[in-house]
Amino acid sequence: MKKNLIYVLVFAGLAISCGDEFAEVPAVGALSEQTLGNPDGVSLLLTGAYSALDGVRNNGSGNGFGISGDNWVYDVIADDAHKGSTDGDQADLFQVETNDWQTSNGYFRSRFTSIYAGVNRANAVLSIINTIDLASLTPGDAAAITQQQAEAMFLRAHFYFEATKIFGNVPIISVENFDALEFNQPNPGPAWDQIEADFQFAIDNLPATRAEQPDPGRPTQMVARAYLGKAHLYQQEWPAAVTQFSAVINSGEFALNPSYLDNFNFVGENGPESVFAIQFAADTGQSFNGNQGSTLNFPGGGPFGSCCGFYQPTIDLANAFQVDANGLPLIDTFNASDFENDYGILTGEPFTPDTTSPVDPRLDYTVGRRGIDYNGFGEHIGAEWIRASFDDISGPYLPKKNVYQADELGANQGTGVWGQQHSGVNYNIMRYADVLLMAAEAAAETGDLATALDYVNQVRNRAANTPVVQAVDGSGPAANYQVGLYTGFASADEAIAAVRFERRIELGMEGHRLFDLRRWGVTSAVLTAYYANESRTIANFGPKVRAYEPRQDLAPIPLDAIGLSGDILQQNPGY
Amino acid sequence: MPDQLNAQQLGQVFFDSLTNDAIANGTDPTAITHPQFFPTGGAPSVPSSLLGPTVPTTVNGQNGTDFLSEIFEATSTTNTSITLSNGSEKSKFSATLGYLNRGGIQLETGFQRGQARLNSEFKIGDRITVGQHTNVSFNVNSNFTANSTQIALRQNPLVPVFDDNGAFAGTFNNAFGLSNATNPVADLIRSSDDFLKQTRILGDAYLSVDIIDGLTAKTVIGGDLSLLNTRQFLALNPEHSEARGTNTLTEQNQQIYNWTWTNTLNYTKTFDKHNINAIFGYEAIQNTGKSLRVSASGFLFETPDFYLLSNASGAPIVDIPNTFDFESTLFSYFGSANYSYDNTYLFTGTLRRDRSSNFIDDNGTGTFGSASAGWVVSNEDFFPDNGVVNRLKLKGSWGSLGNQTTPRGNPGLNIFSLNNSLADFAFDGATATTGAFLNNLGNPDITWETSNTFNVGAEFGLFDNLFDISIEYYNITTNDLIVVNTNIGSDTSSDAGAPVTNTGQVVNKGFDIGISFNKAFSNDFTFGADLNVSTVDNEVTDLPGALIGQEFRNGSITRTEEGQAISSFFGRVADGIYRSEAEVAAGPDQGFANDLAGVGRVRYQDLNGDGVINDDDRTFIGNPHADVIFGLNLRLNYNNWDFSALLSGTLGNDLYNFDKTFTDFATFPNGNRNARVLDAFNATTNPNGSLPANSFIIQNAETSPSSFFVESGSFARLKNLVIGYTFPNQLTDKWGLSSLRLYANASNLFTITGYDGIDPEISPNSGANDATTIGVDENTFPLAQIFLFGVNLKI
Repeated sequence: MKKNLIYVLVFAGLAISCGDEFAEVPAVGALSEQTLGNPDGVSLLLTGAYSALDGVRNNGSGNGFGISGDNWVYDVIADDAHKGSTDGDQADLFQVETNDWQTSNGYFRSRFTSIYAGVNRANAVLSIINTIDLASLTPGDAAAITQQQAEAMFLRAHFYFEATKIFGNVPIISVENFDALEFNQPNPGPAWDQIEADFQFAIDNLPATRAEQPDPGRPTQMVARAYLGKAHLYQQEWPAAVTQFSAVINSGEFALNPSYLDNFNFVGENGPESVFAIQFAADTGQSFNGNQGSTLNFPGGGPFGSCCGFYQPTIDLANAFQVDANGLPLIDTFNASDFENDYGILTGEPFTPDTTSPVDPRLDYTVGRRGIDYNGFGEHIGAEWIRASFDDISGPYLPKKNVYQADELGANQGTGVWGQQHSGVNYNIMRYADVLLMAAEAAAETGDLATALDYVNQVRNRAANTPVVQAVDGSGPAANYQVGLYTGFASADEAIAAVRFERRIELGMEGHRLFDLRRWGVTSAVLTAYYANESRTIANFGPKVRAYEPRQDLAPIPLDAIGLSGDILQQNPGY
Repeated sequence: MPDQLNAQQLGQVFFDSLTNDAIANGTDPTAITHPQFFPTGGAPSVPSSLLGPTVPTTVNGQNGTDFLSEIFEATSTTNTSITLSNGSEKSKFSATLGYLNRGGIQLETGFQRGQARLNSEFKIGDRITVGQHTNVSFNVNSNFTANSTQIALRQNPLVPVFDDNGAFAGTFNNAFGLSNATNPVADLIRSSDDFLKQTRILGDAYLSVDIIDGLTAKTVIGGDLSLLNTRQFLALNPEHSEARGTNTLTEQNQQIYNWTWTNTLNYTKTFDKHNINAIFGYEAIQNTGKSLRVSASGFLFETPDFYLLSNASGAPIVDIPNTFDFESTLFSYFGSANYSYDNTYLFTGTLRRDRSSNFIDDNGTGTFGSASAGWVVSNEDFFPDNGVVNRLKLKGSWGSLGNQTTPRGNPGLNIFSLNNSLADFAFDGATATTGAFLNNLGNPDITWETSNTFNVGAEFGLFDNLFDISIEYYNITTNDLIVVNTNIGSDTSSDAGAPVTNTGQVVNKGFDIGISFNKAFSNDFTFGADLNVSTVDNEVTDLPGALIGQEFRNGSITRTEEGQAISSFFGRVADGIYRSEAEVAAGPDQGFANDLAGVGRVRYQDLNGDGVINDDDRTFIGNPHADVIFGLNLRLNYNNWDFSALLSGTLGNDLYNFDKTFTDFATFPNGNRNARVLDAFNATTNPNGSLPANSFIIQNAETSPSSFFVESGSFARLKNLVIGYTFPNQLTDKWGLSSLRLYANASNLFTITGYDGIDPEISPNSGANDATTIGVDENTFPLAQIFLFGVNLKI
């Protein structure tokens, strides 16, 4: 019996000795917060925050093409672009373009979640930095951490700027909220105060010069200043905007590329004109660093067998490049007559492109039209390269700026899993021409017409001297390209009108147009006129597009975002 | 099978759709064209060959191709097994070898399994017993990811399976008006060399020692080893309108090792009328696993002997979510005691303490117990002997039960990961730098989920146990539910996985009723029937905020909220169709361009009465949980014949027929539709139509969640029917056999349901795999009808 008792005791002893330690298991393969709490670890997370600039993120919801950091979808809403392809292809984008905006539309949802992924990736960096005792670090490490903090604040401000531009009334998620998992915050208004504070911190702590910040993908102090100026511009705080833009312009850090095309190709990437860009790279394999959100925006079929025929420039945009005998734009009358196009004409049928009417040379770097060389791939042959049919709303043109140059296919073409394009062409979120035109606008608004004239003419002067698209038969320029400089502005209104128009033709198809229209308060008037003008050519467009409603000045807060927040988020007015 | 339109019908539906749209838009309805059915306008007709493709592609007559019948096929199943067993006082063993070859009902799908089982036990002396169970199986699942149901529903019937040159036909080019569904037959055939192979070794070894009379110590070491190996090849599909630019091979290797060591002491004692049985033990469980999934693109040849990752021209890519390494452990003490007196008064108590590695520190510890009592009233002296009721037992129990299963490992920690696809950036525009991101939000407070169960019931034997009846009321209250909290991990949270939290309380309650009838009418004729009926009432009784289910093409469909059943459908209430401009004018503002544009469209209820239909007019529109689940089992033996049948089903559950998004609306305008749309409203030809007017675009948010898609999911199904014949002993003896039986078995012979979808028993991979997304039917792989003829032979 005693022996039996010992069995039982041994048995019980075994049980008690190994229990609690046995049930403690570390997370395999994960990085702990301790591992990350140093400059190298922070750098990893900071890279992750930059990575969110293109909109590609973990745990996606909504439409995968709506995420795009280049805001091509918002050119489709504006008068720069049609959705492209056939009407039924991407039905939710058709609804976006034709003003049937459901709050559940996946295009808005995915952009919203992508932006907040970016905000919180920046917050993750700031949160880890908060756990580091700077005093315990070497001076070099402490300085590195401070710079990383400034970069994270810069990125966070960028994401809030995107949120404010698109959705207007947006929630602020602070680092404290992040740490406490309190992600559901109210959205009473735009995030301007937060944006300005974050950019100011960045200005105060980022390297002053490009030499001290050699990675072109990272901001310098002047980049943050340009952004802060833009934030003031959006709030119509003209003098404050002037202050920032002047500092940027006078710093000499940036200059216009002699060739306009160098803003949209591999050779010119990160040239002197690039202020801040999403750094895309067509690395081998599935090109995760390529532009995945814009993957649809290549000819459907066409010169290199790409997919999917989306993002087609409008008739209205092509019209805007028409100029008068002095090479100046037809600001008020550009839509009086349509620039010749091949809409309704099959590839086999004869068509002669207009090569004699004077046009701005930026036309043929922005709009791919029949008869003109298409990015070095040879003559655009018309309807066969257009996926949309004549029954669809998308017209005859092809996008150019986001599409590879033929001689750079090797460097820039990337592929995804179904063979789609993941372009390595950088997207310039802001380039120096944009800065000059914003500065010109702020100057004009403050009555400084001389400065406005100077800046606008700098941009036009480059357009006047840029290499131009050559005719496919090698006979010289592909069209009658004319750019004249403004000789002077008689009034602030005239200056403002000139600057605004210059923005359209300089920055067309670069994701800015809708936000410009919104801040000028002219979206409804401009788009309503555009629907009518466009329908002269694309007869189906007018009937299919619904009337623009004032509520559309802000995109709807996505329905599921409201639901997930437990109704803490409030819908924008009118939805 | 759903009834999809044939080519001729589809042409007419397209014609009607475009005509309706032209009228609503105020454009010329005679100017409409369609690239295939009426390329120059006029009445629709089925082309004899597809218009557009350079390869001649003949259309399959006026009806076109019925893709559902192309992808589904009758197939055969073979199931063979041999069992050897022997035994004596000191040792016994049994060995089983089995082989199953089950053809899949979709083309090129199938399942094979070889299995060996060996059980043995030996006695050493009087007190020691050793034994083992071993089960080794090897499965091959061919074409394991294939499910082309939805694609077959969508594919345009003009497209034939093959073009005139014998290559696969497809939608070729978006401009040809054939939509963008792939050729489902081509998909299935091209992936026919895909496989999932699984080797599984499951077993245990045990030693038990009788220490003293009634006291037994037992130790069991069990292991479960699972090795998984998959291959998937995405071949080029040049006939498709969105053809792949490259082919891709994906391979996955996964190993999962689990072991369990259990030690128990068991004491059994009977004295007088007292009966005691007590057990004490402890148990350690470890689960570990590792997975690697890699893909590579750019294969020169599309033949299986070339399918090696090293033959790709592109660099291999590691698939992050499917590449992992995990470990979790559980350590428990447990004890339980049964006491009964005179088989009349029954008591049981249990207590256990568990410690789980899934939770941090003290949160890992959970203590759970239960108590139950029973009273066999019919054993009492006062109970009448000759009544209708010959046996009566009353019983009740209460218990608490823990659940430590979490949807992912280490839910207590923030998990940061390196990632070369989602967290990388090319700072110089050319070369990527790998970064890290927060992959999963941690919740250090996460702990056990606890269910408190309360049961009371009675068992009756009637007419000398001719009828056995049991009735039980149950109430299971689950507290601190372990959920992936999408409310905290909302759209404005990071892109990390939402945190796992203990959130809310759910009550499930109802009655379980069982009635059995067994009677031997003679030696040669016996009959039995069992009816089981359960009622279920599921309600969330506490939940801060709401949980939103999985997102579908038009947003999430389900919402879990206090006062509702888990995963209730949430959306607008579709309240018929506007049949005249006057009705549109009288109704709330639905955002129509004008009254004419609203005719033929779905009318939504203005729930808040503000005159505008918007997101505030959503409510709970369906409950995916059945009110009643039932099963009826019938058994009959007559002479050498045996017969059995199993009928089961549900009552009162709703299903969300998400596939209608594709088959009833123009989500893919050039794709096929269901025959239901033939009854679409048309102001002149079908003013009483039951569906909204056909259109080539989605209007009026009609594919957003609404009650239009909610249907009753009630059904009754004959799950199984068996008829067997056993040869008389005189014959089998003569043949030297101990027994021989022939039988025929039919599964899923018929189903009674009003549900429009492909199968009311929706498959779990159709979106229903998420705890807060139940009852949404998307791309269900239907259950097969299986007819089986078999032989049971004993030697």
